[in-house]
Amino acid sequence: MTSRLYNRMIDPMKRSLLIFLYFLYSSSFAQTKEDTPAAPCDCFIHGIVLDNATKQPIVGAVVFVKEQNKGTTTDVTGHYHIANLCQGTYTIIGRIVGYQDKTYTVKLVHEAEQEIKLSEGELHLANIDIKAEKIDNLTQTKNVLENAALDQTRGQSLGETLKQISGVTTLQTGSSISKPVIHGMHSNRVLIMNNGIRQEAQQWGSEHAPEIDPFVAKKITVLKGAAGVRYGSDAIAGVIMLEPEALPDSTKTGGEVNTVYFTNGNQIVTSGILEGGLRPKKAEVPQSFGYRVQGTFKRGGDISTPNYRLANTGVSEINFSIGANYKRRNWQSEVFFSQFNTQIGVFSGSHIGNVTDLIEAIKRGTPLSIYTPETFTYTIDRPYQDVQHNLLKLKSTYQLQSGKLSLTLGRQYNYRKEVDILRGDKNLVQLFQLTTYTGEVLFEHKPLFKLLTGSMGVNANFQQNLTTGTLREPRSSTVLIPNFQNLTGGIFLIERIVRNRWEVEGGLRYDFRNLDVYRIPRGQQIVVENSKQNENFTGTFGLNFRPNSQWNFLLNLTSAWRAPTVNELYSDGVHHGAASYEKGDENLNAEIATNLSFTTNYITKLFQLELHVYNNYIRNFIFLSPTGRPTLTIRGAFPEFWYTQTNARFRGIDLSGNFQIQKHISLNSKLSYLQAQDITHSQPLIMIPPNRWENTLRYEWKKSGISLTNLYVAKQNRVPAKVIFSEIPINEIIFNQYGGDFAPPPPAYTLWSAAFTQQLKFNNRTGLDVSLTVNNLLNTAYRDYLNRFRYFADEIGRNFVIRAKYSF
Amino acid sequence: MQKNRIIVSGFLILALLFSMVACKDTAVDVEEENEIITTVKLNFTSGGTTQTFVFNDPDGDGGSAPTKFDNISLKPNTNYTLTVELLDESKTPVENITDEVEEESDEHLFVFTPSPTSLLTYTYGDKDARNFPIGLTGTVQTGAAGTGKLKVQLRHQPPVNGKEVKDGTPTTGSDDVSLDFNLSIQ
Repeated sequence: MTSRLYNRMIDPMKRSLLIFLYFLYSSSFAQTKEDTPAAPCDCFIHGIVLDNATKQPIVGAVVFVKEQNKGTTTDVTGHYHIANLCQGTYTIIGRIVGYQDKTYTVKLVHEAEQEIKLSEGELHLANIDIKAEKIDNLTQTKNVLENAALDQTRGQSLGETLKQISGVTTLQTGSSISKPVIHGMHSNRVLIMNNGIRQEAQQWGSEHAPEIDPFVAKKITVLKGAAGVRYGSDAIAGVIMLEPEALPDSTKTGGEVNTVYFTNGNQIVTSGILEGGLRPKKAEVPQSFGYRVQGTFKRGGDISTPNYRLANTGVSEINFSIGANYKRRNWQSEVFFSQFNTQIGVFSGSHIGNVTDLIEAIKRGTPLSIYTPETFTYTIDRPYQDVQHNLLKLKSTYQLQSGKLSLTLGRQYNYRKEVDILRGDKNLVQLFQLTTYTGEVLFEHKPLFKLLTGSMGVNANFQQNLTTGTLREPRSSTVLIPNFQNLTGGIFLIERIVRNRWEVEGGLRYDFRNLDVYRIPRGQQIVVENSKQNENFTGTFGLNFRPNSQWNFLLNLTSAWRAPTVNELYSDGVHHGAASYEKGDENLNAEIATNLSFTTNYITKLFQLELHVYNNYIRNFIFLSPTGRPTLTIRGAFPEFWYTQTNARFRGIDLSGNFQIQKHISLNSKLSYLQAQDITHSQPLIMIPPNRWENTLRYEWKKSGISLTNLYVAKQNRVPAKVIFSEIPINEIIFNQYGGDFAPPPPAYTLWSAAFTQQLKFNNRTGLDVSLTVNNLLNTAYRDYLNRFRYFADEIGRNFVIRAKYSF
Repeated sequence: MQKNRIIVSGFLILALLFSMVACKDTAVDVEEENEIITTVKLNFTSGGTTQTFVFNDPDGDGGSAPTKFDNISLKPNTNYTLTVELLDESKTPVENITDEVEEESDEHLFVFTPSPTSLLTYTYGDKDARNFPIGLTGTVQTGAAGTGKLKVQLRHQPPVNGKEVKDGTPTTGSDDVSLDFNLSIQ
């Protein structure tokens, strides 16, 4: 069959159309219904980048349109595609490490094909545009959210934004706190790379949302599956990468203003970007300076479910970032600073004293009227979370004869205050101060033997957490996690061979970690020091086969590991929001994931399909499991949960497809199916997202679009049936009804939503995009299995969203 | 060569800048540290004699089991005055939480529930500013001899959206204390 496909000749017209579709597909396939109405300027340039001597395609070359400062990188087959251009004459530049830049002039009417031939030669990198980490895993399944699809999520939290991608769901605490779940896993197992720096915050907590302003990013990429070799430990479920646009190097000042209004909660979000640059005309060496300033303001009040309003569910955010870079002929330096500030109200009815309170709340079905007030307010009262996250990044890149060397340094400071309802208006329930330094030296070598591309790097990460006293002299034993100091280091090598239709990638990594904990155990006065060491090798192997422009096959075998976090080791106390008594286990071992996945893409003019099948086996998977017996406290009985480990298997299918029914009408379908099994105890794992199926019918006409979306979320029928701890005597187990859970999983639900989008273009640079979306169109009352408040409150009701984006 | 030197010094300057913002040592001083209630004392007074029954869990929730959980033993058909004391004995000096409850009496309510109900009758002996009971002081009238349980609850009912919610019933709020004492009337 392969040879038949090999031998099939495709005429150039058809071929270019297919290439176009492929690019369209790869950049916008995993996106929602609401996305991409016809662009205001919908011309495009595409083509292939070749080595002039060998005529081999060049992977990862940068191609950009000089006049628009708009670019892309070539894909595994050396192809590129730049869309949304207006008619005109453009200068197209192709460049990659080790080759000379090549400039072409292209006259663009509707579309143009431009082959770019690069010759090896002297270093020449006046304006290297590092748009993305070039050593991105090309053999790993990747879903990208950008342009119109990203615009249609503006104003939402990062977690909600990522729900657009099949296989990604959220773990929620009410409607204001949501964190991304990839293939059933979350928190520390999902690594977030914010502008090239690994986000280090309080991600261990299930009610700690990522401290990131999504407006900073112009592109969000999700790598599904283990990706430990490139990104280091923890990347067991996947990696989320947020990237801003490359800083401008032209003297034009530009920017955009986004405004979003949500009727539910009267939430207003405004975000602005201003950017520009300097480029001395008569400098001896070419040089340029670029800057960007960005800020976001968000304020929302109490939100409403279909039948009642929830007290104290407001949110407020003020964020800003500044970035600047300086470029010389063969080096550039960049500085970036961002600050994220948020206050999130936690639903007043969620403060649970003990299991009796919880059972009463479950029995009532709806919260007490005192917690569902008639009057709306923006005021945020106790309990609430108050979080600040600062990120400083310095990056320098230097072009050597043999390749490219870069140094990235980062400092992050995370301050989290969780204020509960305490007597005497005492305000500290939990306070965390985490400071993290990261450093990476990366060397991307010039293609060896015109065949082997790759990179090697060294990472280091040092962090210190302070919850009480000073690091070595904690003053309190009543903290949720103790003071600690953590040092990790890693070294890796990834190499890739690209040959016509084949691509092979392999990599290896070594990591070590040293954790020193300083704590006062319960009921003791003296400080105990604990020290833990872990080390591990991880590997990756990927194979990409592309027989023709319709089919693409990807086989991927990767591994990743994760050392137990401090809360998993040393938790010992009552968790109020959850009405549970949680106990860590200091003898936990590191968990190791082996992920096998297979992805098929099929693309024709009318039909595009992506099928992703995965099997993620995790040895020593750490999770919180109910013991089924109550712990007696002065506040009454609390169900006991222990951190434990087991061998687990996550396997599932993500399927997404797009069908062009008629010239203006298309149907898009996304299906996520997941089974997570505790192999050791032969039963399903707890808290796994149920299967879901989403369908969107879209009508597009000129610069307008209308869409209707239906989302079906099944009931989670795969829940544990029994308590797994054999050391707990049967007669002590009293919460046995739902395998230790307090209530059965909520029933299946169906949600409808609709959107209308309109683009207005004033001239080449200035434009206005407006849209009206209605979420939960029928005001359906429902509850989600992965929302911790599902025991006592419904999800958010109908919500009209008005968005406007003005770019200049 | 020259160029290389510029690059190297560039890197060094960046590293220096970086380390400047890097070194600051701070301490977290929790001025208003979390209180925990470790001890509940029930003082039953009748005819000049006081009997005290204690629940004591010195390390708070979880950890080691409570060290003391007395059985309440009272005489039948007798009138007692009942006062409640709450202590945090994990602190030095010991913190008296009774005072705090008294100060914030508008958001606290003690609830005493005997089972079977025939064992005793509780009557509140104190009122907050809005005329709702508190339960730090009250009277107990015991019934006929028998055994059962006495549930002692401290409901914490702080304002919601700035509005007071305490209405004299235990419905709103959450338990700060919830203990089932064994009770015998003999």
